Amino acid sequence: MIQFENFGAAFGERKVVQGLTCHFPKNSITAIIGASGKGKTTLLRVLCRMNDCIENFRIEGNIFIDGEDIYQPDTDVYALRRKVGMIFQNPCVFPKSIFDNVIFGVKDIARISKKEYPDRAEKVLREVFLWDEVKDRLREKATTLSQGQQQRLALARTLAVEPEILLMDEPTSSLDPKSTSAIEELTQSLKSRHTILWITHQHEQAQSVADRVLEFTDEAVNPLRPVAPIMKTERPSPLKNVLRKVQTFSE
Amino acid sequence: MKAKAVEKLVLGMISTITVLVVALLITILAVLFVKGYPALHSGFLFEESRDFGRAGGVLYQSAGTLILMITAVLLSLPVALGSVLYQTEYLSSGKLKTFLMQLTYILNATPTILFGLVGYLFFGVYLDAGVSWVTGSLILAVMILPTLQVSIREAVEGLPEKYREAGMVLGLTRSAQIYRIILPQCFYGIVTGIFLGLARVAGETAAIMFTATTFSGIQLPQSYSDPVPTLQTHILILAQEAVNPESLAQAWGAGLVLIGLVFMLTLVAWAFRTRMVMESEL
Repeated sequence: MIQFENFGAAFGERKVVQGLTCHFPKNSITAIIGASGKGKTTLLRVLCRMNDCIENFRIEGNIFIDGEDIYQPDTDVYALRRKVGMIFQNPCVFPKSIFDNVIFGVKDIARISKKEYPDRAEKVLREVFLWDEVKDRLREKATTLSQGQQQRLALARTLAVEPEILLMDEPTSSLDPKSTSAIEELTQSLKSRHTILWITHQHEQAQSVADRVLEFTDEAVNPLRPVAPIMKTERPSPLKNVLRKVQTFSE
Repeated sequence: MKAKAVEKLVLGMISTITVLVVALLITILAVLFVKGYPALHSGFLFEESRDFGRAGGVLYQSAGTLILMITAVLLSLPVALGSVLYQTEYLSSGKLKTFLMQLTYILNATPTILFGLVGYLFFGVYLDAGVSWVTGSLILAVMILPTLQVSIREAVEGLPEKYREAGMVLGLTRSAQIYRIILPQCFYGIVTGIFLGLARVAGETAAIMFTATTFSGIQLPQSYSDPVPTLQTHILILAQEAVNPESLAQAWGAGLVLIGLVFMLTLVAWAFRTRMVMESEL
């Protein structure tokens, strides 16, 4: 579904990705791991052409989504972005009500009547397991929600415009273990309808959430490898994670 | 030890300068209040000027000032807003952005008498608007353009990038981003700019003195080619020409009204600016 062909990206003279050829199948979760500054975020941002406004940014090679080169001059960038939703590291909610946040994109993009907004909002809030927590306070400001809830709200807002691809840039890095768990489970549940690319720094999270892993190293981008089945099923709990880190630290 | 002494000396100097500036402002306000207060009677704001400024109030002068202020801002605001949105949302060349910003600062530093002169030649003579409130408003609109631009730009550029990106990834078009995200989020910044622009117009005399105003012979303009009386012209003529104490007292009274207007507008701008800062911190 998503295909990179000899892809490279650079900011001026500084190349961040070089010679990447890979493909991401439909309805799969791919974890992208690697050290900071290796081009992981750039890889996601080019898929929705978020770097177009950066003056010295350029790409090489081709990127295809459903067989269409998304960097052709006649590509409808706005239609592309509706197809490819993105969730950022830090949740961003508008200083509006929870309800207004959920339907923010729907108002301009989805061709549904105003009467259908509440149903759409409920549907996506249920999808992100937020409905029970906010159903009685939909008119309250979204900024009153916790970080974890805000991140799920941002995800609900993205899902409301029905994208086919979800790009998640370290979506749990600013969250507590409970919220992290919630987002991980939620992502698994979205797989049947979306193709998901997930950036993470945690190898364990990559193993537990994703079907495949793409690793950015100092030398090159390692080809996609499937996650070992045993690692997928034996997913350590957040508490075990913390204990393991404490143990490693003391050693 | 030497560094400490230098630090103390510098601190002493800047403290003295600050005190001097504040003292100067307080002195001006105090003199204005002491000299202008006796002229302020109950009808000063609501009566027309009589006997060549010796008696009555400043009703039509205040109305003229407000007409020029409001028209100038109404003319300037769409241009300033459009220009800022073009530069921040559409223009990608950093060099061109810097060049346009420098032009704004040069325009801001241009002496106001030059605005009056060039503006009168263009609007008054070339476009045949003559000495009129329309000519004055157009000149003032050009004059406050940089003030509005700088304030609006500050608000738009201060908008956290995360809001723009959140809109972009939803597939919002540029125009949708402007009316759904940028304008609502920058509302308080834009209003601050408007009030600062109004305050600047209220304090302006040179640019409108010979292009838009008259001292007597007219109340409210009946057509686009009529001049208007303004507080600024009223004060200037009375202060220059009058010899009797009643007229001079009227000039001080009009000055007090004008400074009150400028203070009020600045305070409103400050209140909106505070609100803008609070919103941006959410």
